[in-house]
Amino acid sequence: MDSNHETTATKPEGLEQDELIIQQHREIEKEISDSILLIGEKEELTSLQTEYINDPVYLTKIQDLNKKYKCMRRARPDGNCFFRSFAFAYFEYLLSHNEEYKHFKERALKSKDELISCGFTQFTLEDFHDTFMEVVNLIGEGQHEKLYDTFNMQGYSDYVVVYLRLITSGQLQKDAEFYKHFIEGDRTVVEFCHQEVEPMFKESDHIHIIALSTALNVGVRVRYMDRGESSEAIAHDFPEGSPVCVHLLYRPGHYDILYSR
Amino acid sequence: MQLQYNSKSTAVKRLMREAKELSEPTDEYSAHPLEDNLFEWHFTIRGPQASEYDGGIYHGRILLPTEYPMKPPNIILLTPNGRWETNKKICLSISSHHPETWQPSWSIRTALLALIAFMPTNGRGSLGALEYTPEERSSLAKKSHTWACDSCGQISDLLANNKAKPMTKEESELINSVTFKGEDSEKVSKPSDQQKQEVQSNAINEEPVINNITPNFFKDALCSDIGMYLIYLIIALISILVARRFYSA
Repeated sequence: MDSNHETTATKPEGLEQDELIIQQHREIEKEISDSILLIGEKEELTSLQTEYINDPVYLTKIQDLNKKYKCMRRARPDGNCFFRSFAFAYFEYLLSHNEEYKHFKERALKSKDELISCGFTQFTLEDFHDTFMEVVNLIGEGQHEKLYDTFNMQGYSDYVVVYLRLITSGQLQKDAEFYKHFIEGDRTVVEFCHQEVEPMFKESDHIHIIALSTALNVGVRVRYMDRGESSEAIAHDFPEGSPVCVHLLYRPGHYDILYSR
Repeated sequence: MQLQYNSKSTAVKRLMREAKELSEPTDEYSAHPLEDNLFEWHFTIRGPQASEYDGGIYHGRILLPTEYPMKPPNIILLTPNGRWETNKKICLSISSHHPETWQPSWSIRTALLALIAFMPTNGRGSLGALEYTPEERSSLAKKSHTWACDSCGQISDLLANNKAKPMTKEESELINSVTFKGEDSEKVSKPSDQQKQEVQSNAINEEPVINNITPNFFKDALCSDIGMYLIYLIIALISILVARRFYSA
């Protein structure tokens, strides 16, 4: 028991340090997030070059990207960037694809009951669903600017993110037998969803992308810009083999939107 | 300004929805927003059966951040209960100390159900938690019936006989995994970025332990009592020795 004294006696101070570090971390995050739009305006890919001026590996990859993509949009790096980028890029795509828009709207309407049957609380789910549908209906109005502005209103934009997180969680739970093999650490699919999918500001991994793109049947191509040997940013398609309508750029820890030439 | 206004409006919509959902008091809990502020609610809960809080009725405040439901609510108990200090924010794993564990699909109802379920658990070691005996808690439970809130009146009138809605799968999972702890309001560190939560404080307890309260029994007990006393003792001894040296020189 004596040995316990020492370890426990120092704990409060250590924790206080941790809390301070976490606090500082949050403040930095807040600062970053306040300075960047939730979804930015279109910009040239060459704007990336300034960030990697002394980095030949990244510069080569940016050059290659520049051949394939005409521009990009940045998303706020707040941990929701995958969901927000995905949603905006896909909704923007639907603006010019009316048939797919109708299908998607139907699917989105049905998703409410599916998620309720999955065990989510009805009345909070309805709250997210109704706001999500409000934004989906903007696509029908065909006004790009209005859609863009809505994605930059914190409340609406976050509601879209929440709803996509719930759809992702629903898909993971529905197909738990399959997804359980991809979950790291000793936890169940349900625990993983509660810890890594449903809470806001939790970053997305492959498993989130696979589940969401499968649930909505939307092809996503992610270009990975990393330290790898290749001279190009390697592409991964989710779900594999489906026609691509959303292009995303991945840099370690962050997703932005790409527009192909 | 536009951005702020709109961000608020989804919160307002959501809270109106919750106010409607919770408009009928139940036998376990009731809650309603203050007339002039949708972001502050008062709640009443019944102490869980087969516990020392059985028969008790407890009243308190819920403070909602402007970012609700993206950020969690804060709970403050007002009725003396012997489990938590009154007039202090208490901290569940669905609280502002660990915003990363709060989920927007939870609600005020979820938070209240979790609070009731967590009352009979042992709060040893966590600040804000009170170590009253079962007898003292029972006697507070009896006394609680006569407790009245300045704005809501006699709290024994605030619960009804209606059965509360059964818990959903999501809710019961949450309630099995939630952990509450007291908050150390003296250790205020820095102002928070939220308007409704004036301060963020430091917690001195363990991280929330999911489904894992017993293994930490000894650690927590040591940390809170003997461990802390030892530290104080050592600090006192050192200061005496230093002082002696100083004065003798």
